[in-house]
Amino acid sequence: MKTHLKVLVVDDQEINRKLLHHMLNHDGFDVVLASDGLQAIELYKTEQPDLVLLDVVMPNLDGYETAPILKELAGEVYLPIIFITALEDQDSLSRCLDVGGDDFLSKPFDRVILQAKIKAHSRIRDLSQKTFEQKKELDFYRLKTEREHQIVEHIFDRALEGNYQVPHLLEYHLSPASMFNGDLMLVALGPTGNLYIMMGDFTGHGLAAAIGTLPVSRAFYSMVQKGLAVGDIAIEVNEILLKLLPDDMFCAASIIELHNNGKSLSVWAGGTPDMYLVNDRNGQLMTIHSQHMALGILDNQEFDSDLLNFSVHKHQRLIMFTDGVVEITDENEQMFGYERLTNLLTSPDYRELPLIIEELYDFSAGVEQDDDISILSLRCAEVNSSLEQVENSYSNLPHHFNLVLNANSIKTSDPVLEVIDMITHIKGAEEHRSTLFLILSEAYNNALEHGLLDLSSSIKDSEDGFVDYYLQRDYKLNELNSGSITIDVKYIPQETMLYLTITDSGKGFDVTRKTSDLDNYEKHGRGFLILNELAASVQYNDKGNQMKIGYQLNVSD
Amino acid sequence: MSLSTSTSADGQIVTIEIKGKFDFNFVQDFRSAYSSIEGAIDVIVVDLRETEYMDSSALGMLLNMQKSMTGRVNKIKIANCKPQIKKILQISRFDKKFDID
Repeated sequence: MKTHLKVLVVDDQEINRKLLHHMLNHDGFDVVLASDGLQAIELYKTEQPDLVLLDVVMPNLDGYETAPILKELAGEVYLPIIFITALEDQDSLSRCLDVGGDDFLSKPFDRVILQAKIKAHSRIRDLSQKTFEQKKELDFYRLKTEREHQIVEHIFDRALEGNYQVPHLLEYHLSPASMFNGDLMLVALGPTGNLYIMMGDFTGHGLAAAIGTLPVSRAFYSMVQKGLAVGDIAIEVNEILLKLLPDDMFCAASIIELHNNGKSLSVWAGGTPDMYLVNDRNGQLMTIHSQHMALGILDNQEFDSDLLNFSVHKHQRLIMFTDGVVEITDENEQMFGYERLTNLLTSPDYRELPLIIEELYDFSAGVEQDDDISILSLRCAEVNSSLEQVENSYSNLPHHFNLVLNANSIKTSDPVLEVIDMITHIKGAEEHRSTLFLILSEAYNNALEHGLLDLSSSIKDSEDGFVDYYLQRDYKLNELNSGSITIDVKYIPQETMLYLTITDSGKGFDVTRKTSDLDNYEKHGRGFLILNELAASVQYNDKGNQMKIGYQLNVSD
Repeated sequence: MSLSTSTSADGQIVTIEIKGKFDFNFVQDFRSAYSSIEGAIDVIVVDLRETEYMDSSALGMLLNMQKSMTGRVNKIKIANCKPQIKKILQISRFDKKFDID
């Protein structure tokens, strides 16, 4: 509040101006004087008074004409205009109000009344001024928030755009209640071609609810990439949300995995509405209840990652949805409910999701939705992944490296995986990683176990012998103090061939005997059998202490 | 690298999950995972979804398990194999003796 209230007195009679000036000054107000409307308007602009005492009858511009102009100049802040009047007739008084007057002061002036009126109106003006300031501030924040929302929306779009497209299996409909969706639908393909879907519903909606979708989607995608079971994905997401979300916020979610052959379905569901498996041939509907609490509530010890497994076939569709669907209301505040939904789902006329969505919106008949609405329908058929069909290219550079392992490094390291890591850096070799591991591990372990440690495979014949064999291997490896194994890797780009040559310092074996034995080997010869199938060529030197394996990179299975 | 075992609520399904490298380092752990099963059960699932590598000793372990559990289990299932692992199992003709998916 300003220390001195400034009052503009507008009157064409000098006596009135003097009188009011004197009274107002005496009460501690600042005073500005004008003798007609035109002058008042000029003075208003330069002096910015807080209150106007306005005479009605004046030359040039009278009070009726001046008041609306002053009001307009004052803008959104309340400028009290008090008409000075000797008028008694109702019509004139009501005209004063029509043109924007707020009060009257009758002549002769009464000092106490004048003071009271000025005080009352200046209080209102203060309030109005405060409101105006707050509105300005609100506008500022609104603009700022809008801008921030735009930025966040951009980030969300990016984060969630990784969804895998399977149009032949999946239909869905997502409809957020506000700009940000507190519902979440993620689709991704695992390493074996299994299809993973997560549908989640955070408490509330809008930005506060949507914020949790960012870390959840990242965790989901990275775990699907590893091919984890849906229960393990649930554990991981639960842990993230537990750390991240406030106590009263959580995420109801269902995570499902459809095997790439389309025949088995695993489900982890916590706090979500029922799911349905609908058989399109006979309209049969099977209900899958959620068995767990929502994500982000229980700590790790209490958390239950148990799954439900179902055998499914291509005539079945899995229907998943968030509670926004069944809680949608019509104009009488009746909910759509489960019964209406299941009736539609089992009817042969509503096989396609868009038809069901249409029914939903017909039902709500324009009533504004107050929760996010998500629903999806997944056909349980073979997941045709086209991921593997990516054209491979192979390195054009010849590679050659050679490792000599002495007794000490043989004892203290497990070199196979490290060598495989080196080999798979050659362009085009990565997709053969597991196969190359098996090949090298057979050759290396053969060199070590038979060449250096002189173990006999025949003890592996019994189950106990099998364990014994590896105990002996351990023991003998510990005792090893001489000998070496050389691993030589060569890549020849013209042939796209890898050559692995493993040489041990052992005494070798009778090469002719070994090969004839191969056919009879049921168990411990298995390694060689597989080697022969996987490799393009397997050769021994005459001494029997060197194995040379050729592996073709550009052969697909 | 790890091996973990879990049993379904009704005790009929035992799942052995191997993460990382399935090789001779698991010879003893793997054996005790099934030898500790009491009585007869329905299914043993060897879950290989997180197995990146296996060698021939792993194949030996699987065969030993099959031999030892004959008559005590209806089915041994090798589940969630990555394509390359599946190929190794097929080349070894394991699809004739085990239920592989």
